[in-house]
Amino acid sequence: MKIIVMKFGGTSIGTGENIRNVANIVRNNSKKGNTVVVVVSALAGVTNQLIHEAEEVKKGKEGRIQEFIKELTEKHLETINNAIENKKLKEETKHSVKNIIEELEKILIGIYYVGELTLKTKDQVLSFGERLAALIVSAALRDVNLESQYFTGKEAGIVTDSKFGEANPLMNFTTHQVIERIKPLLEKNMVPVITGFIAANQDGVVTTLGRGGSDYTATILGVALDVDEVWIWTDVDGIMTSDPKIILDAKTLTGLSYGEAAEMAIFGAKAMHPQALEPAIKKHIPVRIRNVFNPKNPGTLISEGAEVESKEVVKAIAMISDVSMINIRGAGMVGAPGSYAKIFKILGKNNINVMMVSTAVSEANISIIIRRNQLERAMSTLEIALLGSDLSNKITSEDDVCVIAAMGANMKGSSGVASRIFSAVAKKRINIHMIAQGSSELNISFVVKERDGPIAVSAIHEEFNLNK
Amino acid sequence: MRIILIGYGVVGQSLTDIFLQRKIENLRNYGFNPKVVAITDRGGAAINTKGLDLKRIQNIKKREGTVAADSVFGHTQMSGQDIIQSIEAEIMIEATSTNITTGEPGISNIKTAFNSGKHVVTTNKGPLALSFPTLIELAEHNKVLLRFSGTVGGGTPILEFAKKCLEGDRIKEIHGILNGTTNYILTEMAEKKITFEKALEAAQRLGYAETNPAMDIDGLDAAAKVVIIGNWIMNKKFTLKDVDIVGIRDITLKALEIASKKGKRIKLIGSIDGKPTVAPKEIERNDPLCVNGVLNAVTFVSEYAGKETIIGRGAGGIETASAVLRDLLDIKHHLANKILS
Repeated sequence: MKIIVMKFGGTSIGTGENIRNVANIVRNNSKKGNTVVVVVSALAGVTNQLIHEAEEVKKGKEGRIQEFIKELTEKHLETINNAIENKKLKEETKHSVKNIIEELEKILIGIYYVGELTLKTKDQVLSFGERLAALIVSAALRDVNLESQYFTGKEAGIVTDSKFGEANPLMNFTTHQVIERIKPLLEKNMVPVITGFIAANQDGVVTTLGRGGSDYTATILGVALDVDEVWIWTDVDGIMTSDPKIILDAKTLTGLSYGEAAEMAIFGAKAMHPQALEPAIKKHIPVRIRNVFNPKNPGTLISEGAEVESKEVVKAIAMISDVSMINIRGAGMVGAPGSYAKIFKILGKNNINVMMVSTAVSEANISIIIRRNQLERAMSTLEIALLGSDLSNKITSEDDVCVIAAMGANMKGSSGVASRIFSAVAKKRINIHMIAQGSSELNISFVVKERDGPIAVSAIHEEFNLNK
Repeated sequence: MRIILIGYGVVGQSLTDIFLQRKIENLRNYGFNPKVVAITDRGGAAINTKGLDLKRIQNIKKREGTVAADSVFGHTQMSGQDIIQSIEAEIMIEATSTNITTGEPGISNIKTAFNSGKHVVTTNKGPLALSFPTLIELAEHNKVLLRFSGTVGGGTPILEFAKKCLEGDRIKEIHGILNGTTNYILTEMAEKKITFEKALEAAQRLGYAETNPAMDIDGLDAAAKVVIIGNWIMNKKFTLKDVDIVGIRDITLKALEIASKKGKRIKLIGSIDGKPTVAPKEIERNDPLCVNGVLNAVTFVSEYAGKETIIGRGAGGIETASAVLRDLLDIKHHLANKILS
């Protein structure tokens, strides 16, 4: 008998059929004697639609409101048609959906008249996606004979600061309230369905959890209810040794440490945002990534000490495309305190995120990796600020590169890993442009030409027998 | 530094010439690496966010008449303002032709640039003549720079010179020959004893005067420059409608002869001394202001330093383009200081 928080993302509940599938998964687990708390995202695509429409309405396009409301209503009603069989329940749910959407319509009209969309209002608008989804999923659970009730994050008791758009939870306050409001339901065998992503500040004003999103809600609730596991249901079997589009025989990893999982954030949407993982790490709650379309697969378990159980030094290899490399040269940087600081300050002021840095002890040059769509802005600003100063006389860029990252907690302290990685790459006659390794030693990253990326990834994958 | 160039006439094309010819010096001496990301002309635009190949664009302009004919980077549908708004760049250069009645499309282009956080260099006098105080206020409000060296004196740094004269001193009066075309006509009439019409024809033949010469000979061009100098140098807030303007259409040979006998010359003088005016006036032949041909000259009367006069060629594509380059380097310098501070 376990208590499990299960989070279902947008694609997992993208259609009525998928929602029925989710309901069955929850029922099966419940039948096994587990206690389940469900967290849901908005239906696939709805969150982006809400932001987009709110922005358009702000610009004064009133005519869009009605059309959008109609579209949104139809989408959810159709989902209900396919998700729920019981006629009475179906009508009830439809009625509730219409009421909620009516409320959204009023807010959109308000935005139109005021002509502004603050972060606070945006959070309010965004919350509707999850509210509608939670309502439908909860009804679908009742349709398969489970007792269920749905809550917004606010109603469930999640309290945050007032940083609208990326709020942080007040964990103790939240824990207190969640235990008070949700725990009694669990004891009555009820399955609560809670909106992901959405919370409220201490005044009860709706906030959103920012980058961690619904996963963050799941781990927050996991900690508050002191659960046994948090399961993140997605549309892949788990975190893999590499991108299956590059490595056809890439395998699902069975276990990862928290540290490794945080490094895997670079793997993109299929992994968890480090911020969402944070509460679980603090309270040592295991997190499992599972496939909603293949529930037989146990998925990837993220937990403490998982690195000790496995022997591989390199566990996974990622290739990050859409990046550019900037090289800044200048004798003026040698032995000049603060010269690198200037470079980072220039980039920071222009909202350019530095992904990777490498520099030699000679200090005469520094290489930086940034997102490719920011290259022109970065180059222009760096040239304006640095060229003609005594700091740098040459700034060049390459936009046909990619970053390869080899990751694994056991790299720490084991010698010869780097040599194995680079020998494997060298054997394929691939030139390495830049190398970086953080002091955590969980990750070695290097830069090659984009066309060489897949070859380098498969060379390392093979070298460390990750397909075995 | 990323640049949007709106208007690709003589000045614009001269500017791209300078960028190509001076690429290495600009980079080595000033750390200035211009990337022109968009150019527009009457036919449309050429856009490349990575920076246009200027040699290629120049060839297309010469061959096809519009940069929009570029098969890869050409656009015929986007307006100048669409481009200013949507393309990322640090600077917008407004080099469309002057409309002295409405100031458009220059005024809207400049406002759009400010609104999207772009610094502006303009060679177009219209917007400044009609709404100088407004544009300066908007630039400050949006925390961007507005530069316009090329609007007065072409390549001759009249405005910069005046600013120098100002340091620690006060400029009391300004008088100047601010229009090369009218000065050429008046010089021809006086020296060759020909009528105004004949002299105008000669000026048109040589390309000094437009087919429709009203803007020059009715004193509007000079008056526009009076507005710019008065606002920028003397901090007086006024626009074109506040300037008393008399052109040179009615100047007779007789009047020139009478002046000549007194050792004087008749010149079209723009003055800021109390009320701003543009009118033909007699001045001493040995006054440093009394220059001939297409030359311009401006005398600044300072409280302590006395009279200082700057003389130079007042117009021309490459001369004006050199003023634009000066403005760009000035902005680059400002931005570098701001970014590093």
